[in-house]
Amino acid sequence: MKEPIIEPDVMRISWGPQHPMSGQTRIILDVDGEKVHKIIADLGFTHRGVEKTLEKRTFFGGIIPLDRMAMVDTANMSIGYVTALEKIGGIEVPERAKWIRTLVCEMSRINSHLYAFGLQAESTGYFPAVFLWTTVDREILLDLFEELTGARWSFNLFFPGGVHHDFPDGFKEKILKSVKYLRGRFKDYWDAMVENPLFENRCNGVATLKPSDALRLGATGPVLRGSGIDIDMRREEPYDIYDELDWHVITEDACDVMARTKVRYHEIGQSLNIMEQIALKIPDGPVKGRVNAFMRVPEGEGISRVEAGRGEMGWHIWTNGTSNPYRVKITSPTLRNMYVFERLAELDEILVADIPVVINSIDPWYLDADR
Amino acid sequence: MYINIMMISALSSIIKAEEQNILTRIIEFLTVNAKPLLQLLILPGLAFILGFAIFAVWFERKFLARAMLRVGPYYCGGRSGVLQVFADFIKLFMKEIILPASIDWPFFLSLPVLLSTIPSLALLFIPFDSNWVLWDVGSLGLPMFLAIMGISPLIPIFSGWASNNKYTFIGAWRVAYMYISGEIPLVICAAGVAIMAGSMDLVKIVEAQRSMWFAAPQFIGFLLFFLGIFIESERTPFDIPVAEVELVFGWRTEYSGILFGFTMMAEYVLFQAWTLMFITLYLGGYNGPVLLGMPLASHIFWLLAKFLILVVFIILLRCVFPRLRMDQMINLGWSYMTPLALLNLFIVIAMKYLGVF
Repeated sequence: MKEPIIEPDVMRISWGPQHPMSGQTRIILDVDGEKVHKIIADLGFTHRGVEKTLEKRTFFGGIIPLDRMAMVDTANMSIGYVTALEKIGGIEVPERAKWIRTLVCEMSRINSHLYAFGLQAESTGYFPAVFLWTTVDREILLDLFEELTGARWSFNLFFPGGVHHDFPDGFKEKILKSVKYLRGRFKDYWDAMVENPLFENRCNGVATLKPSDALRLGATGPVLRGSGIDIDMRREEPYDIYDELDWHVITEDACDVMARTKVRYHEIGQSLNIMEQIALKIPDGPVKGRVNAFMRVPEGEGISRVEAGRGEMGWHIWTNGTSNPYRVKITSPTLRNMYVFERLAELDEILVADIPVVINSIDPWYLDADR
Repeated sequence: MYINIMMISALSSIIKAEEQNILTRIIEFLTVNAKPLLQLLILPGLAFILGFAIFAVWFERKFLARAMLRVGPYYCGGRSGVLQVFADFIKLFMKEIILPASIDWPFFLSLPVLLSTIPSLALLFIPFDSNWVLWDVGSLGLPMFLAIMGISPLIPIFSGWASNNKYTFIGAWRVAYMYISGEIPLVICAAGVAIMAGSMDLVKIVEAQRSMWFAAPQFIGFLLFFLGIFIESERTPFDIPVAEVELVFGWRTEYSGILFGFTMMAEYVLFQAWTLMFITLYLGGYNGPVLLGMPLASHIFWLLAKFLILVVFIILLRCVFPRLRMDQMINLGWSYMTPLALLNLFIVIAMKYLGVF
């Protein structure tokens, strides 16, 4: 990457890739004292060529690298691929499989939001108490994943035409129990973070992103909804069974870091509602039809848009009648939000101390931005 | 400084007894200086400083781990993990000291040693009893303490500068801003105490609190000074200069191995010195009921007991606060703490003038 010229009287800091809070990226900051003049995100440290890999893999095998695009948000990473393929091939999905997919996607979203929540606390300088609370609570979900799929992180559950595993015995009761436990725990997070005056000091009014700017710059996910814009792909283009369930899209009007944190907090509540409804109402039936690992999809082109934990994920797939896709194009939420992050220094005054707070408010996952 | 005092007293005793042989001289030196030696090596001296650092690190790890739903150190030194601190010290000692190419190495290497020694000098003046003060400087006690504590923030600033790194540079200037805005109200609070006690002699300040602790009449000063402990020892929420998620490790970024160990040690020494001074000024110092007819022992016991309770409380507060931002810190210091300290001073003067106290 060719670095732009530095303005006079400005110091350039390379914030990452070896930094406690940067993740696998480098952010170049032009600072004057504590004030940040310019943010440049230097992505691409973890480019793994997922799109090219998918061309070489069968439709079944493609799910495996996709699951690893965002480890905390595994299910939402592969659901779009599967949905797009089903649209192209006109593949029927059993009703019960759709319910299981929605359940796993929502559990994945809670997992992702909990991680974001913990990092948000850590970035404001919390001693890692809240981060470890969320880590411990994520264990509940990981245990459920393990029971359902056999794996805790990248579980490779979906395939075009169904899901691999059905509920084990007594799984519904376990879901209801976990939902009850998590609801109890969430009061602690509200007290420790949103109600904590020092946390409010750090987050209120920081990095304001006006609704017009959010739309113009292409923000997505909690960043967009934190700016008061009511867009959620689960409602705009319902996939699986989101249109049959009772839930609503969360928005906050404050447009700042605290608004994004609150959006995540309330979305976890909505996801818990969805989990509960699924456990109570899931219909009986098969979860997969006849499985052919070398299935072919007829020539065609398909698009799907799904709402991952970090925002909208777009899929554009071309197939040519063989057992692997001809070309896959992925639009990832982190990449879109990183463009917004780069402009935030121009839109609002940001200090060096705000950088970890702001970057965690957009909840980046660089593996998904670099693909 | 300890060594200097020891050298001076040793020299003076040698000059006095020129004609005696060396063994008698040593015995005489030890008997004459038994009390200062004991003070140097044990109570306000080395053993106390090191023992406190070990205790605080262990407590911080083991008990804050419970707040984080963890177990903490578990294998080294039994399930309590007591020996983990020693193991870490050995590890830090054995590690390579990395010297970056662009540092100003004489300053870079020497400043960490001063970091923990200069604040530990402040312990010289803390009275553990009316005749258990390591260096009784009379009415210079409080000014000397504040002067030493005024010097100590310069060392992080210099070492941040000597590291020649952008993160240490920002960290160093954060130290400067934070201490200027945080220390002035503390000095004003201390002035209030001195006025109320009618002396700057720390022993007299403690004796003046025999009937009532100064925490009661000077409640504002008490709260401000309590906040000051957090600011001065760079504890959460005021760990702004070393903010890990923002500045890697602030002014300490380039230090590795035992030099890093010294910087960690300095934090605990500062914490210890300010907490003891807080007790001396506001919580009645060594005052307390005499136990078992031993005034000296019970005075030391009461001071240490107050110290321990306060330390545990302050350490446990660490896990409930996020960090303040630099501009918020400056705002807090100049817009709230300094005016409140002046108000406290005004109240004290008014009480003194009206003869209430």
